[in-house]
This record gives sequence, structure tokens and C-alpha cells, in this order.
Amino acid sequence: MEDIVQIQEKIKQFVINTSYVSEDQVKNDTLIFTQGIMDSMGFISIIEFIEESFSVTAADNELIEANFESVQAIANFVLRKLQSV
Amino acid sequence: MNSKLNKPFSKDILKFENVAAEADRISVRIKEDIFGLVKRKGAIIGISGGIDSSVTLALTVKALGSDKVIGIMLPEKDSSPESKEFALKLADKFKINTLEEDITGALEGFGCYNRRDEAVTSVFPEYNPADYKMKIGINQSGLNQFLPPVFSLTIINQDGESISKVLPVREYLQIVAASNFKQRCRMSMLYYHAERLHYAMIGTPNKHEVEQGFFVKNGDGGADIMPIAHLYKSQVYQLAEYLGVPEEIIKRTPTSDTYTAEQTQEEFFFQMPYHEMDLIWYGMENEIAPEEVGNVLGKPAEDIKLIYNNFIRKQRTTAYLRMPPITY
Repeated sequence: MEDIVQIQEKIKQFVINTSYVSEDQVKNDTLIFTQGIMDSMGFISIIEFIEESFSVTAADNELIEANFESVQAIANFVLRKLQSV
Repeated sequence: MNSKLNKPFSKDILKFENVAAEADRISVRIKEDIFGLVKRKGAIIGISGGIDSSVTLALTVKALGSDKVIGIMLPEKDSSPESKEFALKLADKFKINTLEEDITGALEGFGCYNRRDEAVTSVFPEYNPADYKMKIGINQSGLNQFLPPVFSLTIINQDGESISKVLPVREYLQIVAASNFKQRCRMSMLYYHAERLHYAMIGTPNKHEVEQGFFVKNGDGGADIMPIAHLYKSQVYQLAEYLGVPEEIIKRTPTSDTYTAEQTQEEFFFQMPYHEMDLIWYGMENEIAPEEVGNVLGKPAEDIKLIYNNFIRKQRTTAYLRMPPITY
């Protein structure tokens, strides 16, 4: 299983590649939606990305800020889900 | 569009003190703009039997007279039959001529239904348009957060049993793109008649639709004049009462009338009742403290703050819809 740093890096690269922002604009704790880096399409893309890359499916009630507000939050969510399998 | 009113925030802040004066002001502008600016000799309006197109029509008739306004009904195979019934009542009330153009054939030609159903089937392989109805809507849990909305697809079988799933990007985009043929077809047909008669095309979106991006670019967002684009929904209703729009239309719940399953606009996009949305939007655009708005609506300030953020995000993410083409 990948560790948290590897998961963060994959998610960060995905955010950078799909949002067309420069690398230095996306830190692990950057609030990617509040700061306008990702929009509605970006959110759905992230949901798909973690499903394809980590086989993690987010249930409707898990689509909350605490799980998706930043790269770090998403990575933590993915890791928690992987560990609970 | 910021419309600061110089009075304390209250539930009635958006209520016109003199609704007749506002109706007069708008109808004078419609007349001046059609004859003076657009230089056309009448007006074409697509009528759906909904409140916005009804008020727009009533204002235009007030401006130009019944003989210079034509209402066009543009049903297609997914339209509710109620739409035509109400549109005809409206036409009767305001004594205008109507035309009916069924756009189903044009939409079939574009592949609107097949392209939409192909995307639905890839999410729900059991979906068959003959046996199921479908709709898409915003995931409600997103409203009170900083997260953007997620759209869900729902299919309903003949026994009324429904299943929903969060829509993947590709399918979401295909369903929306295919469905948008409807508004773009309507716009083309309305302009056909407008140009044929040398009339202006009058658009019907209200303030929320324009500012939150609840319209199709070059579809229902395409018109020569939009007389109610500055009005909050509660103001549209106030004008409807004043102008004598038929009661059944005023009482009708606003629907999207786009997908095969019935769906209110609140469920599809806005996520809250219009009277609350009006007041919170007013508070947001006039920078009224969330505590003050919350006190009036009986909601925690934190909730109001989150809704402000949700509105700001919607405005930001839909800005491109309101942009004219970029030129160099």
C-alpha cells in the first residue's frame, strides 16, 4: 500500500495537471476549492481520480469539506479508506 | 448587478413599495429599446407557461400593445403538457397571437435524445428511455460547504422506484451538452420568427438565473433584451400579481422542464426556496453581515456565511457564460 507522502504527491500532481495552475500554487494544505483552483468539474474529476488510482469510492455522505478541501485532506481520506479495507 | 437599497435589512427589503412604478419603468424601457435601439417593430417571446416568461410577456404587452407581441410555444417530446396549457391561458389573458413550433424533430436531427441516453446508459446499463425517466440534480449536501456541487443522475422506473449515482465527468458533460440542444434550438427558432417579422427577441431570465449561471450560453441566454434580468424572483412574483398573470401560473412550482422526470428548479440547481435565496443573495452582494441576515431568517450566521461563499463560487465558476466572445 502506498504511504501518505506518495498518495499526497499523486493527488497534488493530478490537481496541478487538471487545473492549469503552476506547481507553487498548490501546497498540501492549499484550500483548492476555496481558492478557486478547482471547480465543480474538478471536484468530480478528483472523485473519479481516487477511484481509478486507489480504488477508493467516496459515498455521498463522504463528499464533505473535511475529506476534500485540500490535497492533504484528500490523501488522509484515501489512506483512511485503504486502511479500513 | 448590485442593487443596494437604502433601508434596513428585513424580510420585506426587496418588496417594491410602488410596483406600478417599476412596471411602468420597465415597459417604457422596453418600448424605447425595441424601437430606438434595436430598431425593430415588435417582439417575439418564447412562452413556457412559467412565471418568468409570463411576466416578461406581460411587461412587453404593456410596452408595445398586444398586436406587436407574439408568443411562441416550443414544446418537444419531454415537455410537460401543462406548459402548453398554461402558455395558452397566458396568451388568452394578454390577447396575443401565438405560434407553436414542436422542436422534437430538430432535436432528433441533432441527436439530442440519443446522445443524452447514451451517456445515461453508460452510468446505468439497465436504463431504457421507453421504460425509465431520468433527471440530474445537485447533491444537496454540498450547499453548506465550501465544496462545489456534485451532480447526481437519477433514473425512475415505471413503478416509481428510483436509483441515483454521482455522475462521472464525461457522462455529466455529455448529458448537459446534449440537453443544451433544447435551449439552443429554441433560440434558433425564436430568432427565425423574430427576423422573419423584423421583431426583437425578448429573453426571459431573472437575476438569479443570469448571475448564478442557470442558463445556456447562446441558448436561453441569447436575446436582444432581457427585461427582468435585474429582478429577484420575489419581485417577479410581485410584478406577476400586479400585471394580472393568471393565478395558476403564479402558483405553479418552477420546474426545469428539461429532463424526462419531473424536477423543480430548486431541486435541479438553486437548492433553497426562492424567498430565502433572494434575501441571502441581496445580503451577499451588498455585503450585509451574515449575523444580520441570519437574525432575519432565523438561521445561524455560519450557515449564511457558507451560502454567501456558495453564491460567490457559483458567480465565479459561471462567469464565462456571461462573457461576450473574447476578441483581440
